[in-house]
Amino acid sequence: MTDAITLTGVSKFFDPSRPVLDDMSLHVKQGQFICVVGVSGCGKSTLLNLIAGLETASMGSVDVPSGRASVMFQDPSLMPWLTARGNVELALRLRGVGRNERAAEAQRLLTLVNLADAGDKLPHQLSGGMKQRVALARALAQDREVLLMDEPFAALDAVTRDLLHDELERVWRETGRTIVFVTHNVREAARLGDRVILMTARGGKIAREWEIDVERPRLIESPAVSSLAGSVSSALRAELAKVSNV
Amino acid sequence: MSKSPDGTAASDTRDLEHRLDALQLLPSGAVRRTPNWWSGVWPPAVAVLLLLTIWQTYCAIAQPRPDLYPSVFDVASAIGANWDSGRLPAALLTSLTRGGLGFVYAIILGTIIGFLLVEVPLLRRAFGPIISGLQVLPSVAWVPAAILWFGLTDATVYFVILMGAVPSIANGLVDGIRQVPSHIRRVGVVLGAGPVALHRYVLFPAALPGYLAGLRQGWAFAWRSLMAAEIIATGGKLGFGLGSLLQQNRELADLPGVLATVLTILALGIVIEVGVFTPIQRRVLLRRGLTEAR
Repeated sequence: MTDAITLTGVSKFFDPSRPVLDDMSLHVKQGQFICVVGVSGCGKSTLLNLIAGLETASMGSVDVPSGRASVMFQDPSLMPWLTARGNVELALRLRGVGRNERAAEAQRLLTLVNLADAGDKLPHQLSGGMKQRVALARALAQDREVLLMDEPFAALDAVTRDLLHDELERVWRETGRTIVFVTHNVREAARLGDRVILMTARGGKIAREWEIDVERPRLIESPAVSSLAGSVSSALRAELAKVSNV
Repeated sequence: MSKSPDGTAASDTRDLEHRLDALQLLPSGAVRRTPNWWSGVWPPAVAVLLLLTIWQTYCAIAQPRPDLYPSVFDVASAIGANWDSGRLPAALLTSLTRGGLGFVYAIILGTIIGFLLVEVPLLRRAFGPIISGLQVLPSVAWVPAAILWFGLTDATVYFVILMGAVPSIANGLVDGIRQVPSHIRRVGVVLGAGPVALHRYVLFPAALPGYLAGLRQGWAFAWRSLMAAEIIATGGKLGFGLGSLLQQNRELADLPGVLATVLTILALGIVIEVGVFTPIQRRVLLRRGLTEAR
């Protein structure tokens, strides 16, 4: 399979003595679901912004052959004056979809995220999980091969997050997107990813990598996911310990 | 959910999710305005009646000089007389036309200036403080200069209205856009909006509450400026407005007529405030969940 994202020797620094990312190389295959974990300030959001084209690399090259990626953030950032459908239609309009097709396409996307009958609701009427699903539908409306997610479920309660994991996994399988999912939640990473990448706490490098071939759909409480989360978690603590010793 | 074949598992998830949504969804009724408008009308109506009663009772008991302290009925009949003579309707129409037209000009000019200040940071740094300063300057202060420039023509009146309203409108737009949360702007960029689309579909709608607040203040300043200009500048090619009527009644030492005009100006201001700006602002804020329904 071809690579959907290729990073070659990418460095990013605002202050050259303290790089946020340092000579990082990464290949993400098309259709892969990859999770990036690390402690706060390890550069995982910067990595995402580089792939999204919101920031440029100081050195090295970032290649996304399919063009720009779509992005989802921790804050759903829905336009508060537009309905759920209006928010999805805005993304379609900005993509250049004609007026006549927009309504039907928006309805299809809302159905995909299980919000078929909430299209006329305004953001302030929706729960956090529903807003985040509208944001997902909006990101999918951009019809881009690569979807970048920056801790999208961090602010949600456990029950909602659990359901959204199932939902996202299903949407990913139905749409065949390549997903880069940044999180500080190790279990979440083990639950969702084909691959988990652990960043060093400081210095902006890849500390370790895991390939996960647990059968899908997975359960967050399944033994395979738990044991993998355990091993990622202890590696993450080891990274943290290195910083504390400095 | 067990590890059943994924068709079943997925539909289980969707069903659970749907149930959770139903629990968490706010009923749309919560944001609808209650049809009971009467609850908003009667307290001020009673307050006005109370004030009129106190006024009339004072006149009935103390029997002050009617030419200096006219009673409610004197003023009411003055309104009737001014109306029947055709002076009040004519003045009302003239002032409303000028105020409305001047306000439209002010919206156009203020919005253009506002956008320029938003788009060109150097311009904003240079002219921002001056425009904020102009908001503090009572625009009546421009009347003498305007008369010298434009003579006793309607141009004088429009100039004073513009000087009153434009800074508020421009400032409202600038503040509104600057207060757009950065994540909203970022989403616009991520969704691929170019500069024009970003303004049209994201920044301007997001700035609407601030812009409306600026318009409301702009109207208040425009209306005050208009009245002041009409009192000071009369005659010439100037039309006869409410301010001119006020001034004419003073010259006739007709205090009931003066008070009648003042009440007319006040009533008009309230009607526009309550009838135009309040409902628009309310709708915009309610839609965004920025205010609770009464």
